[in-house]
Amino acid sequence: MNTQEDTGAYLEVQNLVKYFGNDRAVDDISFAVPKGAFLTLLGPSGCGKTTTLMSVAGLHSIDGGRIRVGDVVYTSPSEGLFLPPEKRDIGMVFQSYAIWPHMTVAKNVSYPLEIRKVNQSEIDDRVNEVLALVGLTAETDKLATNLSGGQQQRASLARAIVAKPRLLLFDEPLSNLDLKLREQMRVELKRIQNEVGITAIYVTHDQSEALVMSDEIIVMSKGKIEQRGGPLEIYSRPVNEYVSNFIGVANLLKAKVRDTNGSGQGVVEVSQDGQTMTVPCQMGPGIGAGDDAVLSVRPENVHAVRESNGGNIVEGEVTNAIFLGNYVDCRVKWGSFEWKVIAHPRTRLKAGEKVFLEFDPEHTLAVQP
Amino acid sequence: MTAETYSSKAVDRSRLHNRLRAMVTQENLITIVVALIVAGAVLVPLMVLFVSSFKVLDPSGWDTTWGFGNYVTMFTDRIIPKAFVNTLIISSGSTILATLLGVSLAWINARTNCPGRSYLEPYNLIPFFLSPFVGAIAWHNLGEPQTGLLNNLARAVFGIEGAIINIDNIWGVIWVTGIFFAPLVYLFVVGSLRRMDPSLEDSARTTGAGLIRTTMTVTLPLVMPGILSGAIIVFVTSAGEFGVPFKLSAPYGWETLTTQIFSKAVGDDANHYMGAAMSMALGVITVFLIWVQQRYIAPRSFTTVTGKGFRPNVLDLGPWRWVAFGYNIFFILVAVVLPIVCLIIVSLHPVWTGKIVVADMTTINYVKTLMWWHPEAISAATNGIGNSLILAFGGASISMVLALVISYMIHRTKGFGVRMLDFLSMVPIGFPGIVLAMGVLVTYIQTPIYATLWILMLAYITRFFPYGQRNISSIMLAISEELDQSSRMAGASWFTTLRRITIPLLKPGLFAGWILLFIIFLRELSISIILFTTGTETLSVGVYYLTNFENEPLTSALSMAQTVMLLIAIYAFRRLAGREALTA
Repeated sequence: MNTQEDTGAYLEVQNLVKYFGNDRAVDDISFAVPKGAFLTLLGPSGCGKTTTLMSVAGLHSIDGGRIRVGDVVYTSPSEGLFLPPEKRDIGMVFQSYAIWPHMTVAKNVSYPLEIRKVNQSEIDDRVNEVLALVGLTAETDKLATNLSGGQQQRASLARAIVAKPRLLLFDEPLSNLDLKLREQMRVELKRIQNEVGITAIYVTHDQSEALVMSDEIIVMSKGKIEQRGGPLEIYSRPVNEYVSNFIGVANLLKAKVRDTNGSGQGVVEVSQDGQTMTVPCQMGPGIGAGDDAVLSVRPENVHAVRESNGGNIVEGEVTNAIFLGNYVDCRVKWGSFEWKVIAHPRTRLKAGEKVFLEFDPEHTLAVQP
Repeated sequence: MTAETYSSKAVDRSRLHNRLRAMVTQENLITIVVALIVAGAVLVPLMVLFVSSFKVLDPSGWDTTWGFGNYVTMFTDRIIPKAFVNTLIISSGSTILATLLGVSLAWINARTNCPGRSYLEPYNLIPFFLSPFVGAIAWHNLGEPQTGLLNNLARAVFGIEGAIINIDNIWGVIWVTGIFFAPLVYLFVVGSLRRMDPSLEDSARTTGAGLIRTTMTVTLPLVMPGILSGAIIVFVTSAGEFGVPFKLSAPYGWETLTTQIFSKAVGDDANHYMGAAMSMALGVITVFLIWVQQRYIAPRSFTTVTGKGFRPNVLDLGPWRWVAFGYNIFFILVAVVLPIVCLIIVSLHPVWTGKIVVADMTTINYVKTLMWWHPEAISAATNGIGNSLILAFGGASISMVLALVISYMIHRTKGFGVRMLDFLSMVPIGFPGIVLAMGVLVTYIQTPIYATLWILMLAYITRFFPYGQRNISSIMLAISEELDQSSRMAGASWFTTLRRITIPLLKPGLFAGWILLFIIFLRELSISIILFTTGTETLSVGVYYLTNFENEPLTSALSMAQTVMLLIAIYAFRRLAGREALTA
């Protein structure tokens, strides 16, 4: 039988389906997370990521599928199983932090332990320990309403981990913080999760958050999984136009696959306003000779040079060059298409110049449309 | 094969068992029980009322036949068509008066530099909490042509003949109803005036619109939904008001629908089926208007959406601010001070002839109405005080528990029946108390709860729990659901979450709602007058009894006792709920 030891999966979501009215908010998705890992569900609002998280939390019922953590089945409509949220042993950090305003910080944090009928001296020890971990020792006896946003965030995290739950869930916890605090808290959250060694699922629409924090990322759209992989893989090898576009910035052009060599390389043809170019590139999964594809090139992988020296060459005109210190953000016009190019400041590109664009076949990708 | 079938059956059974067990939660059980109770309490009386209205009593008074006879009678009767017209005139008149007063006072308080406006506001709101019936009694003693205090003062001071005012007619009803319901409009308008983003008006001014133009094209349209809502509520409340027309116009030939329904419910002329038909007619009108208000007007209140703590523009009225001040003082004088002073004066006289006779002053009226142990005590009055306190404490408490559970279900659970429940808790708002009471009367007259305090309690709660529910709902909407959810995630059950998180957070709203209902129940008349019997009189019924069968000084004494109790409750309300509780 499938036990967790066999599959290595600690949290397993199988064929999850959730309707809102006639909308399939989550459309038959499956994934598994090993113990101690940090998984991020990434996507725009309405992609089903929060619905997936709420399904795991048990804050709403599901219409199909099975969710299991360790050897406990959380919910499985076909077996008539639904474990109420309070029985799931989960810690959760909400978008609004949900710090109870009528209690002190210590009371907020000790609440899960009181519910679990832990004895008072142990409660005190654990609360102090966890408040020290999140750096709120000085705020212990403050009323929650007197905390700043970042402090509420920390208190919320402390409350979520104090009872050492099976699973830690984050619902866009950083979206209410200002940029600087957000960047600081990313690192902090990850550190604490690591230190406690707890399995975490994190929901966000912020790609940089996902890239910084995750062991694994699941990119979702319209209730389905688009791609799953490590941060580097998702960024450098997106499987389709949607993921290329959603993660980072990419030049995306309609292309036709001319030829593939069977070991992941091939040649595609791009036509744009009567101009045609043939580009050798890496082939993404699921496309073969004759297929429609999308050519995806990251701006930092486009090299703008003044003199042609062979290779992947497109001739265009610089329409805009913004000097940003460590790099120059350029736009290069090629027919009606505008290439986004990141150039080294040394190149000193100026608007109006003619340039040639060069793509390294290693970092040029053809993906599914 | 057999073994396999058997085992798959066993799996089916355990699946069903699991599913049932998943459904039987604290949450679902309480939801279902409450939904059934509310549905029963709200819908059954209205359905019985509807059915009864098609029963026609034959002339012998013993048998009934089915038909539309009652509805035909409404048009052919000698009195009822006039009562209809009178009701419409009174409601329209008092709506116009209350709207003019309410909007102007709200504007003066929220947007001008009228002196002392923050001190005036609580007094502007006092009539909202007092009994209009008592207001009518006081104004009768002020403006009755022969014995009215104001008329006698005018004769004494200016030496004129006859009377300067006569309150005992349809215009008197409009006057008293209008001034007592003005705070309703005030409350609907003052919030949006106060929280209006000043940049909305400022931007109009920068485009070159003058002050008056800005007021007409920006300010007023923004407040209009509030004004219309307030006006409709006043119209509906006036149409259902019993005490004022009963005191001021019915005895002088101006019957209204409510006084006619009352005469069909009790007394020599009683005909419950006819009363049911008239209640249906009144109910259809009020339900329609409330529906329009809820469906089309309330959702258009723009400013509540953007409302943040703005500092609104304050208009410098210059010397006119003293006119505004005088106007406001005049309102408080006629709506609060004069009636209360008059009640005190009249209540201190053994008999009231319209003249203040200091030498005759006595406290005997208070002895007779308050001291239940005294041999001369009038039991209708003393019973009334005790019963009303029981009903107000018990009714407010039960209503708030019900309101809490219903609000929770509407805003925190997504299960079935929630929209139904939302609708059910709207329904009683559409029906005047006297209509609902008629329904309760015909439904329960043959059950043991008739002629007990329980039937009054039931009708009070059914009619007024939505007010408590609204009070809680508005706070619940402001509290993030994540506060509850995080408690569930922390391992607390639904009930523990309710007890430790939800209720503590709602505490201010629960207290405010409780006192509001306490006040409403303490002065309730139009339900009580239909459902009381000897022994279950309420405070207002006691006042009714005294004004009908005893004299004005005794009536004034009990009215004064009720007013003092209400004023204490208002004070508590303001202390607990804070200044912004009503107007925000």
